[in-house]
Amino acid sequence: MYTLLIVQLAVSGALMGMVYALIAYGFQLTFATSKSINFGQGELVMLSALFSLTLIDSGLPYWLVVPGGMLFGVILGLFVERAAVRLSLEQKGEGWILLTIILGLLGFSAAENIWGRDDRPFPTPIPSDPLHFFGIDVTPLELSVAIGVLTVMGLVELFKRKTLLGKAFEAVSADRDAAQLMGISATRTIQLSYGLSGLVAAMAGILVAPITTVGPTMASVLILKAFSVAVVAGLDSGFGVVLIGLFLGALESLTSFYLGSGWREAPGLVLLILALAVRPNGVFGKASIRKV
Amino acid sequence: MWKRLLLIRGAELAALALLAAIPLMVDNSYVLGLLTLLAIYGILLIGLDVTVGYLGQVNLAHAAFLGLGAYAAGLSVAHFDFGMLAALAMALGVGVLFGTLLAFPALRLEGPQFALATLSFSALSATTLNEWEGLTLGAQGLQVTRPAFLGMTLDAPGFFWLCLLLLALVWLAMRNLLSSQWGRAFEALRDSPIATDAMGVGTYRHKVAGFALCSGLGGLAGGLYAFNFQYLQPQSFGWDLMVILLLGVVLGGRKSLWGALVGASLIALLPNLLSNRELFQVISAIGLLVALAAGGQGLLKKTTRPFQALAPVVAMGILMAGSLIVENTEDWRKAIFALMLFSVVVGLPEGLMGFAARFLTGLFHIDPPPLPAPASLDAVLPKRVVDGGALLELRGLERYFGGVKAVDGVSMTVRAGEIHGLIGPNGSGKSTAVNVISGLYVPTGGDILLRGKPLPAGSLFKVARTGVARTFQNLQLFGELSALDNVMVALKDVYRSPLPLVLLGFAKGEEKRAGAAALALLELVGLQAQARTRARDLTYGDQRFLEIARALARKPELLILDEPAAGLAHPDVTKLTEIIKRIHERGISIILIEHHMDVISELCSVVTVLDGGRIIAAGTAEQVKRDPKVIEAYLGMSDDSADAAAPALAG
Repeated sequence: MYTLLIVQLAVSGALMGMVYALIAYGFQLTFATSKSINFGQGELVMLSALFSLTLIDSGLPYWLVVPGGMLFGVILGLFVERAAVRLSLEQKGEGWILLTIILGLLGFSAAENIWGRDDRPFPTPIPSDPLHFFGIDVTPLELSVAIGVLTVMGLVELFKRKTLLGKAFEAVSADRDAAQLMGISATRTIQLSYGLSGLVAAMAGILVAPITTVGPTMASVLILKAFSVAVVAGLDSGFGVVLIGLFLGALESLTSFYLGSGWREAPGLVLLILALAVRPNGVFGKASIRKV
Repeated sequence: MWKRLLLIRGAELAALALLAAIPLMVDNSYVLGLLTLLAIYGILLIGLDVTVGYLGQVNLAHAAFLGLGAYAAGLSVAHFDFGMLAALAMALGVGVLFGTLLAFPALRLEGPQFALATLSFSALSATTLNEWEGLTLGAQGLQVTRPAFLGMTLDAPGFFWLCLLLLALVWLAMRNLLSSQWGRAFEALRDSPIATDAMGVGTYRHKVAGFALCSGLGGLAGGLYAFNFQYLQPQSFGWDLMVILLLGVVLGGRKSLWGALVGASLIALLPNLLSNRELFQVISAIGLLVALAAGGQGLLKKTTRPFQALAPVVAMGILMAGSLIVENTEDWRKAIFALMLFSVVVGLPEGLMGFAARFLTGLFHIDPPPLPAPASLDAVLPKRVVDGGALLELRGLERYFGGVKAVDGVSMTVRAGEIHGLIGPNGSGKSTAVNVISGLYVPTGGDILLRGKPLPAGSLFKVARTGVARTFQNLQLFGELSALDNVMVALKDVYRSPLPLVLLGFAKGEEKRAGAAALALLELVGLQAQARTRARDLTYGDQRFLEIARALARKPELLILDEPAAGLAHPDVTKLTEIIKRIHERGISIILIEHHMDVISELCSVVTVLDGGRIIAAGTAEQVKRDPKVIEAYLGMSDDSADAAAPALAG
């Protein structure tokens, strides 16, 4: 029985870890084109989820809420790029770190005042009665998270590989200057990557909302773990984030069981610091050559 | 000179005296509380400015260090019965200890990774303070008693004076430190870590020291914080406070003690400013006017981009509108911080004090401190006796990148006293070879010997310390530092004072000597008139010359010049040739990588030609110019047209 309990905890945790992986994937998208990430990405997740909740409350069917929420995420992503990132990239500085933190704070405050400080449930048509696999309970809700995450990541990858716009994306990721000389606008592509990153964040918010409930603070711990996943896997690791996401999700679930739920964030944070110290490019990342 | 000293020191003394006198004039515990908080925040922000301003990194752990220091002080009183001074020393020590521990993993990190490492650390420290209930009592909070100070029980004014005294001491020590080699090294590290190592300054110790210092001050402020409020809760040291601290440093002005003080006053007063609606309306109106004025001026003079001028106006406009609509401003405090921070970061990156300092120096006609008289070149770069022996030997040097053999078995000898030309078409491996010799890359195989002893492999810093100096093809100057500081920071064998003496201000003598020596080197490359100009404001040619002067500050035996004439206009090329000749006259051996064949012909006694990572020819400039293999490598021609190609190469 005891092993079964451990496996059960690990599986549930790993499925939650898929959400971290999806948010981390959003970091990868912008990092690829611009070497920058949105430190306020958690607020993007949260705002999109709250917006989707408002759509549900206004009576929209679920299959319309999802694209609506994602569109909102795209708009937020584009706003972040315009307001916080573009200027400092033009100046070749790192002002975007501070500026994206600031926009996140603005978003947080707006959410507190528009939607209130309380956590609210997020209705979903997907049932939460557990299914049994070899003695382990998995709810369709948890499964929907895993399926949703893989679908979104797969679609974005398909877009990058099969469309002309996606090829431009890859070109800018490989070499921004060379791409620009070939007539690809790096600014437009970075904009696109922030839009996609916003879309992915919104999807993560909608997927996780039924499990965690929705409120201004819903993403504040989520985002720390997404950072951990992104850094431990490597910011250019592609699907590596999924493996690390599964691992970290399981690890924190077990930590919470053995040490108490207050410590559940600790392993991710320790791993992040260790990864930065030992392998700054991540487990699956490529080491870069310093050029002078 | 005296005017400068009088005004600047006078302003400091006046501010200190005013702050100290307020409790004598006003008997108001509320005002006293604010003043105490101001002094504590002052120490805290001076610390934060070391990483945010001087090291140029976004540090998100400072609130956590305040918390660690506060708990360390509080617990050491509760459990070990420490006095005030011992408890404060404990708080400082805990800050330094954890700062050093965090600095080690954060060492190699830049920008976003550094921010993430500090963010994780602060989240981890919050978790620990919350969950380790046996020690900290967790969310329930910890009661702290204010211990006696040298046997005296301090009342509120007494404690304020203690905080103020500590602020003054920290101010003095930091002023001494930051105007010394340490301050320069911090800034050098921010502008180019690679050059910091290549100039023998050392990124390693300075980054650790800078971060430990910053965290130590955070801890010390934490100790004072604990004895001021006498009640600690983990959530006081979280994200909210961190954002407020960043607001203080950025708004006050980075790289400035006064900026930290102004920032500290603002954030100490902030809760009051926000809670009074009328006052807040006035403030946002002022903010909007400033944004409009600054943005308009910037647009008219075309010094700022449209976004930089407009975005703060929009942000301040929203703030103004919000202040008129919103009933309870307290609810929106985070948004208010965000809008203010956003406007400052975008529109006024130098902060209030940066702006005020420029304005005041103009108003009072304060001249920059006078330059010392240049030292004699013979004292700075004594003539080396040249024996013609083997100085640098490469034996089968290899460096592969994956399957690319950038350097593929190069063996050559540079003799003492020669100018050794290293030429070859683009991609022939010249720069890679230099990068391996100077320690940027670890060689894949082969040996590098300097005077028969192996050169340290793969460490710019260690190679720089052996007497090999280099310049960079793509300039690696410390852009924000003046030309003089660029040379001073690299200067070898001058800075001997240990840290405590520097903090006490006893390193001024060696500063003077360093300045004089650096000026002599600037004179050598013809830049003495631009000594106070920021490196990034120099013309392109002057930047190249500054790189050479900076490399000479290492007093090298071997100087490696990586394409020093690239992109130079013709008069500058002539000047460069003269400079290299003068350097050579001092007995310094030179490896010169160049594409200008006339420069090579004029200067080099020996020339080695690389192609595809291998040596294809060696000899005098005339010999290699006529070598068919060389001509083919450059022009891709066969042997019989060699004579026709030779003049083309000569150009």
